[in-house]
Amino acid sequence: MKLIKDKVAKLSFVALLVTVTAAMFYAPTASAHGEKSQAAFMRMRTIHWFDLNWSKDTVPVNDTMTISGKFHVFAGWPETVDLPEISFLNIGIPGPVFIRQGSWIGGQLVPRSVSLELGETYEFKVLLKARRPGDWHVHTMMNVKGGGPIIGPGKWVTVTGTMGSFVNPVTTLLGDTINLETYNLGNTYFWHAFWYALGLAWLGYWARKPIFVPRHLAVEAGKADSLITAGDKKVALGFAVATIGIVAFGMSSTNAAYPVTTPLQAGLLRGMKPIELPARTVNVKVEDATYRVPGRAMQMTLTITNNGDSAVRLGEFNTAGVRFLDPKVHVDETGYPDDLLAEEGLTVSDNSPIAPGTSRTVQVTASDAAWEVYRLADLIYDPDSRFAGLLFFFDEAGGRQMVMVDAPLIPSFI
Amino acid sequence: MSASQSAVRSRAEAVKVSRTFDWLILFTLFFVVLGGYHIHYMLTGGDWDFWTDWKDRRLWVTVAPIVSITFPAAVQAVLWWRYRLPFGAVVCILGLLLGEWINRYMNFWGWTYFPVNFCFPSNLMPGAIVLDVVLMLTNSMTVTAVIGGMAWGLLFYPGNWPVMAPLHVPVEYNGMMMTLADLQGYHYVRTGTPEYIRMVEKGTLRTFGKDVAPVSAFFSAFVSILIYFLWHFFGKWFGGTSFTQSS
Repeated sequence: MKLIKDKVAKLSFVALLVTVTAAMFYAPTASAHGEKSQAAFMRMRTIHWFDLNWSKDTVPVNDTMTISGKFHVFAGWPETVDLPEISFLNIGIPGPVFIRQGSWIGGQLVPRSVSLELGETYEFKVLLKARRPGDWHVHTMMNVKGGGPIIGPGKWVTVTGTMGSFVNPVTTLLGDTINLETYNLGNTYFWHAFWYALGLAWLGYWARKPIFVPRHLAVEAGKADSLITAGDKKVALGFAVATIGIVAFGMSSTNAAYPVTTPLQAGLLRGMKPIELPARTVNVKVEDATYRVPGRAMQMTLTITNNGDSAVRLGEFNTAGVRFLDPKVHVDETGYPDDLLAEEGLTVSDNSPIAPGTSRTVQVTASDAAWEVYRLADLIYDPDSRFAGLLFFFDEAGGRQMVMVDAPLIPSFI
Repeated sequence: MSASQSAVRSRAEAVKVSRTFDWLILFTLFFVVLGGYHIHYMLTGGDWDFWTDWKDRRLWVTVAPIVSITFPAAVQAVLWWRYRLPFGAVVCILGLLLGEWINRYMNFWGWTYFPVNFCFPSNLMPGAIVLDVVLMLTNSMTVTAVIGGMAWGLLFYPGNWPVMAPLHVPVEYNGMMMTLADLQGYHYVRTGTPEYIRMVEKGTLRTFGKDVAPVSAFFSAFVSILIYFLWHFFGKWFGGTSFTQSS
């Protein structure tokens, strides 16, 4: 007997030590989203985010910030990803460190899934309320049914204050204002504790008498029926009647307390309103495109035709949220995340203004460590080795035109 | 002491050893069931049990009882036919709920900060008590499956309604009507659980108007009967010794 007790004590002590040791291992906060691990073609050929703006870099708890901008749904959507016919405008944050107070596409609130059209450009906005202090990488994100989460650019935002002070007041249609953060918590604990206690009482009733060995011997000896007494049956009946009675009482008293309830709401919002872009006057033909692995640079030969009435210059190439700029044409003043911004990353062999009615073939190089850091170079290992991106042309009056490019990409290893 | 001699020297010592075995086995059974049942329920019930904005009157009511009657049926088979102990279902639910509460409190709330009022587990205790009592009073697997299984499915929704009803109060939000549970799902961001994967209010059960929950509960109860038979046999087989004898 003592031997068994000693062994149990020893094993319990060892188990406790192992548990404590495991818990003491360093476990850093997961504050980013593995965005660099997502297949490059998914980020380059599905949703193109641009004109993004994170309204604040630092937000106190209970204060709000917005992420706004536009996204273009790539017309050459890859075959390996389901079409964005059922999509959800999400936000990429590590758990509910913010709450999403609102999200809009084309001015319409989108708490539900939406249907997006290929080739269209949409305006969006997400309103976030800070909840948990820390430094958080806040991404744009579009979930696509059958395609998974398509993560967009992220920016570090600091939330200050204490989570204990966070409140989430909501006014119901019955006129009551509640704090959704803690609403119904006491009621939940009460009912679960109550039923758990009743279950323990049932178990305790049987565990107060010998349980396994004598009962097994009795069953083996053919005396099983003697193990359940008339008193046991009365107690059991009492438990069953009480259970059904309490369930019925709980149901009726709840219905009396909450006479107005509605079913969960769900559905798909169709007909999202895209941006009506002005007629495009710049045409671009990709003659060839190569990615030079040692130089971390993509080179494109483009034939640009200007059919407009104002001379234009190429100022930006945007792919997978990484922006390559020609600083002589365009400088970012929006506070775009540094790691996604190659301020001098775009080189054009001849970037003098292209006059109206003329064409020019130029060599365009987009080079930056971001190709490697954001693992966009891995595109050459993808099943459909094509690249895509947005070219932004600027005219003399400061006007901007967006042109989508999409072409095969040939890797160069020397 | 030789191998043929008894390990105990008196009746009092035998009783003491027997009780020690009782607690050891009960402790082990509890945590083995907790682990196995918890994994099973998370894999099969999953999001329906995790989030309040999945707990609808149609699919949650249908799915949760069907996938949760499994372990209670199997453990009942072992404890009743081997020991005449009528707490198989209750011990399963005690284990499951303890595991779920630890998971929801430590992981969902403590680790990722989802409010507990958004991610608490479903209550399965009323059905478990009735299931155990029916088996004990009838001593019949068939009657337990039919009456107990039916009760398991039917008691699920009303047993959870006192906790769920406050979250089904409607709210007007930026021009749309939602329940508070919907709003929880919208507010508390889940990057891996987009709105479209919620399976709520889907199906063709439209001819009963708004009274969907009782119909769903009856269907769930019917399937629970069938699942009870299946898993009761699993339990009987697993609780037997024929496979060890043959080896």
